[in-house]
Amino acid sequence: MTDSQNPNRERNSSPDSEIDAAEAARLRKLLLGALDPTEEQAPDVLRGVQRKLRERSGGKFYADGWTTTRFAPISTYLVTSLMMLTFMAFIYFVLHPLSGAPTTVRNVPVPVHVVVPRK
Amino acid sequence: MLAMPPDDSSERRFVERLQQHDERAFNELVEAYSPRVYRLVARMLGRRADAEDMAQEVFVQIFKSIGQFRGDAKLGTWIYRVAINLCKNRSKYLSRRQDDKQDALDAIVDHQPLHQAKGVTSGQVSRPDQMVEGMQIEAIMRRCIAELDADFREALILRDVESLSYEEIVEITGVAEGTVKSRIHRARALLKQRVSEALGESLP
Repeated sequence: MTDSQNPNRERNSSPDSEIDAAEAARLRKLLLGALDPTEEQAPDVLRGVQRKLRERSGGKFYADGWTTTRFAPISTYLVTSLMMLTFMAFIYFVLHPLSGAPTTVRNVPVPVHVVVPRK
Repeated sequence: MLAMPPDDSSERRFVERLQQHDERAFNELVEAYSPRVYRLVARMLGRRADAEDMAQEVFVQIFKSIGQFRGDAKLGTWIYRVAINLCKNRSKYLSRRQDDKQDALDAIVDHQPLHQAKGVTSGQVSRPDQMVEGMQIEAIMRRCIAELDADFREALILRDVESLSYEEIVEITGVAEGTVKSRIHRARALLKQRVSEALGESLP
């Protein structure tokens, strides 16, 4: 009777001892060769998980639009800030020459005529 | 079994944060466990095209059901259990739809006795003819593994590929140790038989 046909032996001892050791080692080597995806990088699962949770929770989780990234988007903040500063500087330097010199305002006192109400 | 968290108290605090649906804690969890979960589901499903989606589903399921985690097992073991159960459900669904065909590598195979295979795999040879031979054997192995019953495949992968202890496999699968050993033995015997048949070598 072979090992696979003898359930009592299967249940009472380690399966490592059931198959011939060399055969088991060869089988395991083949298994690892066939199933070990060491050459393959695991994909970025996080973004997909966050997207699914956001969709399925109706926006309750991961809803702010920023936490979908792994780290805070510092570069986005910096670029946005620099663009705003550049735009403001541009507007200032374009509009400032157009404004001309300030006009002098003279405050001449005007005589006051007091109107006496008729009785 | 898995690298993080390092001890029981920190794991407990980490689990508490997860149970409060702390998004940062959950990000850390996904970052820490996703490579191993991805590899496990890729091996279980035998279809790498589905593995990424399946790995995502595992973490979505963990997010939804983390409140039910009571700390009876380690967090890593519990994550493995969720992954294994989802993979088995997906395999059943796919087999019902008869959509479980493997990748293109398992097409034409030159018959070769198993004893001549000597564990040759594509990653271990340099000559083109040996590489092709190794790829063919790997393809046969993948096909034969995919044809195994889900319980047998699960036991074989957890033991021989993931190198888990019997105790860990018992915790993950929820079956008795004797049953685990029996399944591993049966899986090895079946796999050997099917690979031998595929390679054209009659069984002793």
